[in-house]
Amino acid sequence: MPENLTRPNTATYLTAKGFCLTSAAWMMVATLAGLVAAIELVAPDLTGNITWLLFSRLRPIHVNLVLFGFVTPGLLASAFYFVPRLLRTQLYSEKLGIVTIVLWNIALIALVITLGAGFTQGREYAEMIWPIDVGIVLVFILIFFNFAMTVKNRKEKILYVSVWYVLAATILTACTYAMGNVIWQPDSGALSGIPDAILLWFYGHNVFGLLLTPLSAATAYYIIPQVCRSPLYSHTLSLLGFWALIVIYTHIGTHHLLQVPVPTWLKVVAIVDSIAMVIPVMAFLINIWYTARGKLGLIHEDIGGKFVFTGTVMYFIVSIRGSMMSLPDVQRVTHFSHWVVGHAHVGVLGFAGMIALGGLYFTIPRITGKPLFSRFLADLQFWMIVIGVAGFTIVLTISGLIQGNAWLNGETVYRILPQIHIYNVVRASLGLLIFLASIAGCYNIFRSLFLTSGENS
Amino acid sequence: MKMTATAIVSGSLLILIAVVSVVVILPYADTSKTIPSDLFRTRTSVEKKGRALYISNGCVYCHTQSIRAVDWGLGAERIAQAGDYLKDRPILLGSQRTGPDLSQEGGEHPDDWHLAHFINPRFTRPLSIMPPFKFLKEKNIDILTRYVQGLGMKNADKRVERQKLWKQKTIDAYESGVDQNVAWIHENVPKGWRNIPTPYPATDAGLARGRKIYQDFCFGCHGPVGDGMGPAQPYIYPPPLNFTTLKGRGISGGIIYYQIMNGITGTAMPYFKRELESEKIWDVGNFIAKYFIDQIDADMEPKGIDASYEP
Repeated sequence: MPENLTRPNTATYLTAKGFCLTSAAWMMVATLAGLVAAIELVAPDLTGNITWLLFSRLRPIHVNLVLFGFVTPGLLASAFYFVPRLLRTQLYSEKLGIVTIVLWNIALIALVITLGAGFTQGREYAEMIWPIDVGIVLVFILIFFNFAMTVKNRKEKILYVSVWYVLAATILTACTYAMGNVIWQPDSGALSGIPDAILLWFYGHNVFGLLLTPLSAATAYYIIPQVCRSPLYSHTLSLLGFWALIVIYTHIGTHHLLQVPVPTWLKVVAIVDSIAMVIPVMAFLINIWYTARGKLGLIHEDIGGKFVFTGTVMYFIVSIRGSMMSLPDVQRVTHFSHWVVGHAHVGVLGFAGMIALGGLYFTIPRITGKPLFSRFLADLQFWMIVIGVAGFTIVLTISGLIQGNAWLNGETVYRILPQIHIYNVVRASLGLLIFLASIAGCYNIFRSLFLTSGENS
Repeated sequence: MKMTATAIVSGSLLILIAVVSVVVILPYADTSKTIPSDLFRTRTSVEKKGRALYISNGCVYCHTQSIRAVDWGLGAERIAQAGDYLKDRPILLGSQRTGPDLSQEGGEHPDDWHLAHFINPRFTRPLSIMPPFKFLKEKNIDILTRYVQGLGMKNADKRVERQKLWKQKTIDAYESGVDQNVAWIHENVPKGWRNIPTPYPATDAGLARGRKIYQDFCFGCHGPVGDGMGPAQPYIYPPPLNFTTLKGRGISGGIIYYQIMNGITGTAMPYFKRELESEKIWDVGNFIAKYFIDQIDADMEPKGIDASYEP
């Protein structure tokens, strides 16, 4: 672990900066899309005949922008900072980094336009049409290449666990994204029938398993020891967590299909491995939490550390929920209900999103050499997101249980709508909170990178 | 273990290959032997076009096509089989059930109900939170309806045929004038039901409940004053029943109950036996009889033994 926090004079960290801005800006668009969609669940005639603002068009825009516009670039931003630092070298090519940022943003703009206009392949997380898919795979390969060459040029002999995760996440996602989007079938981007469902959920779950989780783990493994000023608790746990994650997480996609006619043995594999997820999850969490033991004061002082540590707590919650939901008796109630939406929000916003933001706030002062523009705004954003995501979880869990139990009891979907109405109202209000948080974050990050010096300077 | 770059990259790729062969390729080999199920048929070209509209407008985000063994609602008569999905590319199982499952939607309603419902879902279902699809215009709504009416394949075809058969009969009856129409409607209620008065008293509380049910379920077609001039009326033929025409034409609580429970296939009047329990149907029937028909037989003989809650 490099303990030296001063900035090497020659490094520019242009790529890291670019991904910071990408993440901060798209977080606003992504959360706005989610907010409008949530309002439409309460006021379905709100946007009338504006086709691109229909709930059913906004939903995939929201989901894909959160995954690929806000969280992934946010996590990559800190990776582009800490990977060269950990290797005591510079990024292989900042130029290539800039190319990937430009390509990435072109893909995101194209994503919004095409999905808004109704050009979609209709498969969750794999909606984008073929040219965008190709672009995204290409970007992942270029990013992997940039990191791999940085590793090759390194001056530090030992590869720290964060570097393992970054290398694995980028190369494995390039593969699973291409597979899951059936990139060899440009027209449909799909297989037929049940095999399509199996492949889709293999891929869909690996967006979290092989992209967001490893990148978040990489960021946490870098930031928590730095903030706590102590070495990582255990190398063995790092090893166990890393390999167990790749082996186990990849097996569990079919737990989305437990009530669908897929082969029973595959369901058994998915359920068993969903429970076994406790191994990589706890290996990572014990490692991080023992590193932080007795150091919570230091974490509280560092806004980046505060976000990241909260993210690890959310990871615990989302993982427990995830393992539980894979049990057939539980899933009988939760499947198809708001419970699942709540689960997704703890995972992507609470865990990966919090860690992405923590990464940004930790990284930015170190690449600009100046303090953050406003610690107050960052703190405000922290609490808005904590309240928002905790609220989402509570509200959507309650309404999910109402839906699931009512359906199980023989009530029709229509009859339950008035019962979940109030929860949809609260959900939209919390969405407003998250959207405002994203504005605060974007403003803060923009000012920190470009304009006046911080309030502390 | 020494974690070199080669070990990390090749190790994780090897694991990925091994896992993909177990959880993707092996199941692919397993499921590629799937044979068509008993209700499977290929889609017509207009149904394929309708399916493209279904995908491009994101219907899949709120409507599942995945009937499970634990389901009760629409389509639950038929639990999904692998052979049902054979030609679905992509498969549209869905992950959220904000609206009803549509696996067996075909033939559940006649086409005119779908037209009114797509123009604005609240025209036929006042509590719906589905977006309005008026912008598709009638031509595309018709294409989308063809797909929806094919959901359930061979089973849907049988139901669509039944809708057509009764649609013609209800139109003939409607066009033969009010007296004949009402007589025809009553004739098609099983005889036993016709002579049953509402066995429960029309209390103030019961009428208030009936009014709430009316607003949540009936309002869109039959309108605020029960004259059949709800917002769905312009799209529906034969038009929604004007309750005032029932007065003095042999109406009874039993007939009202039966029609709400069973619906009138061929018309836009759906059955409500899945959505409304017995008391709710009697309550809304009393509400209609008292306020719209102005002829109520609640609590009249023969009513059997009084229910225990009656004062």
